[in-house]
Amino acid sequence: MSQYKIIFTGPVGAGKTTAIESISDIPPIKTDAVATDMTKARKAATTVAMDYGIMNLAGGEKIHLYGTPGQERFDFMWDILTIGGIGLILLLDNNRADPFQDMKFFLESFSKFIADTSVAIGVTQMDLSNKPTIADYHSQLQGLGFKPAVFAVDARVKNDVSLLVQALLYSLDPGLKDHE
Amino acid sequence: MKDKQTKPLQAVLHGMDGRTYKTMVMYFQGPCKGEAVVVEEVDGEVDIVDLDFPSGKSALDKIRSQKMRRPVIVLSREEVSFKDVLYVEKPIHLATILSVLAQARTLIQQQGWSKSFDILPVKTTENPVSVAEKKALGDGVEIKKTAKHKTAMQMDEGSFSAFIGMITEIDFNDKDQLDKAFYSPKNYFQGYVTAAVKVSKEKNRMLQLNSNWKPLLIFPHSHEVWLDADDKQLRAFASLEMNKATGAKLTITAIDPATSAVREKMDKFYDIDAFVWKLAIWTSKGRYPQALDIHRPVFIKHWPNFTRSLITPHALQITALLMRGPRSMLNIVETLNIKPQYVFVFISAAYALGLVGQAERKSDELFEPPPIKTIAKKESKGLLSRILGKLRSSK
Ligand SMILES: Nc1nc2c(ncn2[C@@H]2O[C@H](COP(=O)(O)OP(=O)(O)OP(=O)(O)O)[C@@H](O)[C@H]2O)c(=O)[nH]1
Ligand SMILES: [Mg+2]
Repeated sequence: MSQYKIIFTGPVGAGKTTAIESISDIPPIKTDAVATDMTKARKAATTVAMDYGIMNLAGGEKIHLYGTPGQERFDFMWDILTIGGIGLILLLDNNRADPFQDMKFFLESFSKFIADTSVAIGVTQMDLSNKPTIADYHSQLQGLGFKPAVFAVDARVKNDVSLLVQALLYSLDPGLKDHE
Repeated sequence: MKDKQTKPLQAVLHGMDGRTYKTMVMYFQGPCKGEAVVVEEVDGEVDIVDLDFPSGKSALDKIRSQKMRRPVIVLSREEVSFKDVLYVEKPIHLATILSVLAQARTLIQQQGWSKSFDILPVKTTENPVSVAEKKALGDGVEIKKTAKHKTAMQMDEGSFSAFIGMITEIDFNDKDQLDKAFYSPKNYFQGYVTAAVKVSKEKNRMLQLNSNWKPLLIFPHSHEVWLDADDKQLRAFASLEMNKATGAKLTITAIDPATSAVREKMDKFYDIDAFVWKLAIWTSKGRYPQALDIHRPVFIKHWPNFTRSLITPHALQITALLMRGPRSMLNIVETLNIKPQYVFVFISAAYALGLVGQAERKSDELFEPPPIKTIAKKESKGLLSRILGKLRSSK
């Protein structure tokens, strides 16, 4: 049985665990631990291994949702994780010191996977920090040679996460029928 | 003399983000009862710097390195040691800020402020800002913002037509009629709004667009507009042709402080892009902008911020297709096998934001877009479609 996966990545606290929770049909399997290091000041729990959720499709198929741990020291797992992946959701926390730097880091780290599939970017915490703007992200991306969808996303809002994944799917194939 | 005293102190704000900036504007209008008003750099009598923003610190350094031309008020959570500024401790108490504004006024009148002066930080134990005031200000902004940024409505064809009121004079099934299914944004409120927004952004000035209807306030710093109307009213006004409607003159002026309803109606703020987008949809009603040719390719610059916009039928699909390269509107209709009015209404909204334009190619005529290649190799179209179906059905 083949494994279809959508990968969620992004820096610490960007909302990966929450986003997977928003669209998963099962209570997600979290591997959050109490944050002990630099993360602690920002949040109580951080993901140490990975997040996992499932979307059950009509016909019994399953889409597996995987979230990378946000802390960079776990990046050896990313390669394994992306095998069989449909595409990448990159979440960025607009409230962090340098979200553009984060963006570059993750686009580079996943460059091979993105080249084979596609990426859509969700900018979270825009309610807490409205700069940089979505337009600023597009300017940055232009310089990097990427043209992904970039949406303001609140990871706690299912519809936001859903739209971001929809954009990812249409990027893969604009000819998809949307069941209307 | 009396006039001089009642004239609001002309304040220039530094180092604040859009929201704080706007809150200060409201704060002066509201609780401070117009003691001060926010103005542009050139008109300023006093500088106000928020030191708790990273940009505030550099702004203050810059102001202090220049020979000081006017009094400086510094807002900060932590006490500042500079002797040449007026310090207001955060959280800001009304009595404190009023007292500091009065001091600034005195300094200006004495004309002695250009030399360095020694002012002790004002602290007050008087009544803090009342709950009601708080509501009208910061807290209110927070609450309403969350509500306002509610997630996008994604519409299917049925609900959309009802919501928009598609134009009925045109038979979109009749190919010959499509060539005439355009509208000219400049004849509608949409055109005036986009023009006013442009001016406001270029001059970096808050402006007010007046018509015989309701005033529209534009706040370029926070990228927002304010309009005291609900969707139904706006939709009705959007579809009126301006010259025909009343022959009304639309004017752009500075914001009238008398429009103080702003501070009571914090929920009437809209992101400029989301507002213009929606307005264009209600103006287009399924038509395309006259400036575009439906037979020639259009390009799209980047994805619209769909989570904060009204999503017209097939909008994501059309965007994804155009992101692969320019195509004519008619080609999109054919390639995706969707109704022309849905392509037109989407193009109208994206065009209003400057996201879409006519592709200038040397050999437009020869330019025939390739069929869509799917990037997904292994996964069948079917699987991706089923994921889509799942996402769209479980809202
Ligand atoms: N205010 C606000 N909070 C958000 C938003 N998106 C997510 N959050 C919250 O941000 C916090 C962090 O989210 P997580 O899902 O734990 O982030 P993560 O990416 O899994 O973090 P790590 O596992 O540490 O890498 C949670 O409390 C979320 O509820 C947003 O748009 N606005
Ligand atoms: Mg996590």
